[in-house]
Amino acid sequence: MHHIYCPYCEEMREEEEYSYTGEAHIERPKDPAAISDEAWADYMFFRSNPRGIHHEMWYHAAGCRRYFNATRDTQSYKVHETYKMGEMPSITAETLAQAKGDAS
Amino acid sequence: MTNFDTSTSMESPLRHRVAHTNAANAGVVMKEDKYRGHLNLRGNPQDAAFTSAVEKVLGVALPMAPSSSVRNGDTVVYWLCPNEWLLIVANGTQGQVEADLRSAMDGQHIAVTDISSGQTLVNLSGTGLTELMQKSTVYDCHESNFPVGKVVQTTFAKTGTTMCKLEDGSYDLVIRRSFSDYFFLWLRDASDEYGLSVA
Repeated sequence: MHHIYCPYCEEMREEEEYSYTGEAHIERPKDPAAISDEAWADYMFFRSNPRGIHHEMWYHAAGCRRYFNATRDTQSYKVHETYKMGEMPSITAETLAQAKGDAS
Repeated sequence: MTNFDTSTSMESPLRHRVAHTNAANAGVVMKEDKYRGHLNLRGNPQDAAFTSAVEKVLGVALPMAPSSSVRNGDTVVYWLCPNEWLLIVANGTQGQVEADLRSAMDGQHIAVTDISSGQTLVNLSGTGLTELMQKSTVYDCHESNFPVGKVVQTTFAKTGTTMCKLEDGSYDLVIRRSFSDYFFLWLRDASDEYGLSVA
């Protein structure tokens, strides 16, 4: 029983309806032929694997069939926010650290 | 073997379940609204030329709010995502509606797809319906969360479905043809304690 907010359906839906589709905000190199093999491999295969805040794509497979982004804590599985494709996260590891610093 | 519906050359996905009834006062009643025309429509909701052309053909404006629907006689329009709708029209009229939509939106960046043969519409009602839905779907079907006219795409016994709440409290479910037999077997099992009648 884990509910995730779909920014297109605009409501909380059960996790069963979704599937995880990998790290978000990975931009394809504008001119692949001009970059090194190492840079291409980095784009193609290598993903960050953070302990804590991770920005990732989710797919509302059984619902509206739209991809969207989520900011999730990989330790607690807490989904801090979800936002539409093309938007940037309002919550990052830095803003959370900042908020934590302000509170103490 | 149960009775097969041979009255038409078309075969409903649930044709072999037509005569199935296992309770006199069944708590769950299933009625297939077969052979309806199903059209999938995609277009840009911000484009006034698109929305006005669709409204002219269907007689109603496309529902823009998430999870909403509109009805106009035999025509039902379900919101599927911000640029996708499901039109369910009277049996046999889908070809004409598709042609009308195409001519009204000539030159626009749109898609109209006839998916009538791939899915079917099933109505569920009865006194055991609430409990049946609680067993079958992960979605919260309480009236505070699922008012009349709302359309929800979710899972029903793990298969995909698009469901709409009707004024009489029953649900219209759009199910895949390829999953219709599985759907029925699940329904028969889940409604065993209330009794199932297939109208």
